[in-house]
Amino acid sequence: MIGQRMAAERISFERLTWISGCLALALLPVVVRLPLWLIAMVVTATGLRLVLAARGHDAPPRLIRVIVPLLAIALLFVQYRTFNGLSAGTALLCLIAGLKVLESKTGRDLHVVVMIIYFLSLAALLQGESFWLLGYLVVVCWLTTSSLLGLTSSASWGVWRTNVRYAGRVLAQAVPLTVALWLFFPRFGGPLWQLADDSNAATSGLSDSMSPGDITELALSDDVAFRVRFSPGSQAPPERYWRGPVLHDFDGRAWRRTDAGRMPAPPLHFDGPALQYTVSMEPNQHNWIFVLEWPAGWSGSRASLTSDYMLVAPNAIAQPVDVVATSYVHAQAAEPLDTGMRRRDTRLPVGPNPRSLRLSQEMRAAHRDDLDYVHAVLDMFRQQPFFYTLTPPRLAADSVDAFLFDSRRGFCGHYASAFATLMRDAGIPARVVTGYHGGTYNRFADYWIIRQSDAHAWDEIWIDGHGWLRVDPTAMVAPQRVESGLNDAVSAGAPLTSRWQQRTPWLADTRLRLDALRQLWRQRILGFDQGSQEKLLGLMHIPAPDGQKLAIILGLCLTVGLSWLTWQVRRELKPRPRDPLTRAYARLCRRLAAVGLPRMPHEGPEDFAARIALRRPDIAATLTVLCRRYSDLRYAAAPAPATVSTFIRAVRSFRPRGSRGSS
Amino acid sequence: MKRLRRAAAARLTRWAVRRHGIDTLPLTISRRRIYIIPTRFGLTLGLMLVAMLIAGLNYNNNLGLAFGFLLTSLVLVAMHHCHRNLLGLGVDAVGDVDAFAGAPAQLEFVLQSDAAVDRCDIEIHCTEAAASTHRVAANGYQRAVVGLPAMPRGVMRLDQFELRTRHPFGWFRSWTYVHKPLTVFTAPEPRGTHVLPSAAAAAGNVSESDLHGDEEFAGLRSYQIGVPLKHMAWKVVARGGEPAVRSYTGLAAQPEWLEWSALEGMDTEARLSQLCRWILESEAAHHRYGLRMPGTEVSPGHGAAHRSTCLRALARFGVENPP
Repeated sequence: MIGQRMAAERISFERLTWISGCLALALLPVVVRLPLWLIAMVVTATGLRLVLAARGHDAPPRLIRVIVPLLAIALLFVQYRTFNGLSAGTALLCLIAGLKVLESKTGRDLHVVVMIIYFLSLAALLQGESFWLLGYLVVVCWLTTSSLLGLTSSASWGVWRTNVRYAGRVLAQAVPLTVALWLFFPRFGGPLWQLADDSNAATSGLSDSMSPGDITELALSDDVAFRVRFSPGSQAPPERYWRGPVLHDFDGRAWRRTDAGRMPAPPLHFDGPALQYTVSMEPNQHNWIFVLEWPAGWSGSRASLTSDYMLVAPNAIAQPVDVVATSYVHAQAAEPLDTGMRRRDTRLPVGPNPRSLRLSQEMRAAHRDDLDYVHAVLDMFRQQPFFYTLTPPRLAADSVDAFLFDSRRGFCGHYASAFATLMRDAGIPARVVTGYHGGTYNRFADYWIIRQSDAHAWDEIWIDGHGWLRVDPTAMVAPQRVESGLNDAVSAGAPLTSRWQQRTPWLADTRLRLDALRQLWRQRILGFDQGSQEKLLGLMHIPAPDGQKLAIILGLCLTVGLSWLTWQVRRELKPRPRDPLTRAYARLCRRLAAVGLPRMPHEGPEDFAARIALRRPDIAATLTVLCRRYSDLRYAAAPAPATVSTFIRAVRSFRPRGSRGSS
Repeated sequence: MKRLRRAAAARLTRWAVRRHGIDTLPLTISRRRIYIIPTRFGLTLGLMLVAMLIAGLNYNNNLGLAFGFLLTSLVLVAMHHCHRNLLGLGVDAVGDVDAFAGAPAQLEFVLQSDAAVDRCDIEIHCTEAAASTHRVAANGYQRAVVGLPAMPRGVMRLDQFELRTRHPFGWFRSWTYVHKPLTVFTAPEPRGTHVLPSAAAAAGNVSESDLHGDEEFAGLRSYQIGVPLKHMAWKVVARGGEPAVRSYTGLAAQPEWLEWSALEGMDTEARLSQLCRWILESEAAHHRYGLRMPGTEVSPGHGAAHRSTCLRALARFGVENPP
């Protein structure tokens, strides 16, 4: 088996260098997710092997080749506790690749490394989703494939330029098929099975608890939380409160979300105009979808509304997802508050924050009516010297007391927490709602960008006869903050990039334009799903698109694609297109061959004519003239086009008959 | 396992013979006779692609899917390239090959590409042990030699040979059978101590001048292996010149018969070896010679074709149903 013999050949330093280089390029996108010791190990292993190869040595002794991998894999398991899931799997792949390079003796070992490089590229794509990453990895794939060509080819390695060009051509020929497969390969709605999902562990965002200072950190983050496009006919409302986790449990310091079970959302009477919009969620580690209050309908039956009007997806949003939702600005509860819910939303821990309890009792004595009491509390925030700051002082254990009576400096979380406490003290059901407020309008592509820095917290209180009402106590202190985002309100503490943008409008514009492109990529490419496929079939005028039709179209596309490929690949085998003169001469020879007078490969036109003339006197004269003219035209300095066309006509009219039994 | 594989290969070959018939060379490899299967590496890659596809679908990741599909398409394109590498390739081979026992035989082929593409890594397999790899430039041809291991005297017939390629990435192997019998005539190793019959006769009659009584000295030729020592032009050698041989006209007039019967009392192979040596000596000395063996007689002649006829007669001797 010569193939195996080839694969079993010792590998040269150049081939090893190429493969190691490709491996390094493939590791680059995932390197930030790897533990430092693993990177060091892979680099050392590869470097060691390269040094050995440069000195003409083979792989290190067997003992090292066995012990080092065992140790490393054990170490990896100690670190991750599993090999399942993306991070651990990626780390394992990287480790195996490095160790494989170290122990590589033959070409076959390097083939394994090539496959790992392909798989690592995929792992990188599963964790990142930018256009640039895809482009980069396609280039890595190109280089790796070129190296593979060099690895399997018996030709000397010096022809790497040819290899790169050849691999590039193969890759280019693969593109149309790729597009067809990608467009028409049936997508499934959800995951086939759930894996340990750790891909977005580092993503920032709201969480399901809130202690003072939590949102402050978010205010400094420029990351996009989600984007919203209002449907035609729906105007963006002036107050845009995007509801996120609703928090009920208070322990005196932090607010937490309790799982209310599978209780349906209490019915609402909607009022006013309906707003329809598409929320494009960025991946986060939670399953909530931010919608305007009050949500009435949404696409995707898998999402559901909780009893406190939070829209939640069944699983964490690991992939960008689009949800079309309908909301009403005004809504009224159709039913009185459930007693269980009333109990939950008026409960306070006994002990902490005694001073606030006293304060609320005093104020409640003065204002028996619920709404009067609410206004009194808000007036307190408005009139007394409460400050709004991004850098509030650290608070003691009784956070509400410390804020209301000592520091009086706080961020939205402090105000929402204090207000809800005062409400509950007075027996008014209250809860803290976290989410986002405002957003930046992108006038270049007509959508809103909501960043982490737009995170906000406010309250909802239950007033009998009205239902749940939104109250934003922070707005009492810094009213301008309710009109626009945090950037304007507290520019001193805002992210540096934002401050620059405020000063240079063109920079902000460029950023918006880039974001518009990113959104396009996200919606058209990343968000391509069953719905998009249906739309695509609709565009092709296919009635009632379904999975079966999709499969048929995919089959058709593959057939056409493969036929095209066959044609494309074999086209290069055909001789180069010839000029009309040569074609005419070829026709002359064909005609003579058809009557049993083939031209011998070694014969020039005049020798040929001379030979035929001996055998067939009847056509001798004509043929001799034709052949001589061809010779003249072929080898004369520059034949006139007119004479060429005369020759072609003469050939066309020359029709030799079969020989009459002579020959 | 190995035996099973060999049996399967033999069956496939028989089937291919029935399908294509015996070929005439030169041959241009057509689409119908190229077979292609994935290699072990290709199969592993296929499994990996399935895994990639499942991962992409599972994570609902369109970029991952796109990358997986790109690799899948790459494999499909590579398959076409592997097939094309043989398609339209011209093959010619030397049908009858001469060799000596104990020395490797060399099968000669010519590969020709009429297309504007290079043909890379074309392997010619004659037997499992005898193969070589070649590259044919676009619109060019390549002479290829495959060395067969040394064999005993006799006639060996290879019913077909195989052209294989794993170009471009080693994911696929395409191959074609050429059903053109190649015959290797392995002549006996030239050996033996007996001098040529004519020289033996002359040795009885003493002088050199007598031997060449009716011949005229015609000049000097350059030395060739197998020339009788007494024809050497020792004076020229002594002067430090190139080894030379005196040649005589009139030698051609007297055919020398190399007789099987002249070697009574030796075993068959030794006799054949001696005859072989004589043939080479006579050829080198520009004698006209004939060969007479039980069942075979080659009338006197001279030259490469004649030498080859005689050597093949030796190779065939005692072989059942020689070609």
